[in-house]
Amino acid sequence: MRYLLISICFLVVSCASFPKKNNFQNTAITGDINNPYFSNTNKDYVYKANIEVYNNSFGGLLIIKKTGEQKHRIVFTTEMGNKLFDFLFEKDNFKVNYILEELDRKILIQVLKKDFQVLVTKNLKTQEAFTSNNQTVKKTTLANKNYYYFETPKLTKVIRANSRKEKVRFLFTEINDNIAEHIEIVHTNIKLKINLKSITE
Amino acid sequence: MPKIFYLLFFMVFATQAQTKMSSTEADALKTKVKALASATQTISSDFIQYKHLDFLDNAIETSGKLAFKSPNLLKWEYVKPFKYSVLFKDQTLFINDEGNKSNVDIGSNKMFKQLNELIINSVKGDMFDETEFRIEYFKKEANSLVYFFPKEKKFSKYIEAFHILFNEKGDVVEVKMIEPSQDYTKIVFTNKVLNQTIDNAVFTN
Repeated sequence: MRYLLISICFLVVSCASFPKKNNFQNTAITGDINNPYFSNTNKDYVYKANIEVYNNSFGGLLIIKKTGEQKHRIVFTTEMGNKLFDFLFEKDNFKVNYILEELDRKILIQVLKKDFQVLVTKNLKTQEAFTSNNQTVKKTTLANKNYYYFETPKLTKVIRANSRKEKVRFLFTEINDNIAEHIEIVHTNIKLKINLKSITE
Repeated sequence: MPKIFYLLFFMVFATQAQTKMSSTEADALKTKVKALASATQTISSDFIQYKHLDFLDNAIETSGKLAFKSPNLLKWEYVKPFKYSVLFKDQTLFINDEGNKSNVDIGSNKMFKQLNELIINSVKGDMFDETEFRIEYFKKEANSLVYFFPKEKKFSKYIEAFHILFNEKGDVVEVKMIEPSQDYTKIVFTNKVLNQTIDNAVFTN
């Protein structure tokens, strides 16, 4: 009986929603989400990238450019300049302009698309707001997934979670003049980590 | 009205700056480059790489050093704005990515083997293989400019053409690799020194 109670308690705890589990306190919505990091059409955003996937690690340059009001190009090349992929985001559309045959896997493209969409989407509607450790947490949905945006008030973290658990974490650090010099994207459900360091001078 | 004449005049000159070579001139260049390449035991040079993507405002500039020792030791090292080097040695490609070291066995990988040969050949400029490339020769002031178009489809899918600029001595001063999308990577060599002893310690990862 005691074990049953414990396991029921455990079930209740593990069933708690993501905000509850993380002790987020509900608060009034104060505004929508604004991601400033890839929003300037006059800037070429160039990052030295390191991707760790299932214990393989490879590097290159990730180049992001806002080319229109709701339009971004994302290109990944090797250090020596060979193009590995070239993606285009335009409003809700996504197009693969080019991808190296060896990387042309549907799952990989889907994962990268979802991650990059977070980087380039500037404005999102806040659906719920919370506070947590002096940060404002704004909940939104993007392509049918739940996201939590952490503001200090600068945007420093984004978490994608299903109803209960964290799936992907985006960390923005060394923020200078609306450029996050260091960005980390860590997946918890698959072994994938993307580390970006700005080399824009 | 006269202004337009000046403009036309300059345009004619601009297009004349690059003219096709006669076959005799092309043969002479080939002989010169091959002679220099076969006499080259070592190369050390600085380089600046410009990655041009049509949607960017500015080309991405990276720079570093290159060291080559005949027949097939090659180190290609980026210093700015990040540290990254590749070393071709003993059938292996050693990578040092800001201290993170890894290596790839080239012996078992045909693509890397070809890449290795290609880099060495393009640094020396000796790519005059008519079975692999369709070749076009131009004069550009005192220099020579040669276009190499890969014939093999597997290859031309990645690189449509190499444009190699040779100085009067037949030495490579610039390599431009053009992708089918017309984006390109341009590498400009400076402070190039041939046949000076290079310490073996340079060729360590």
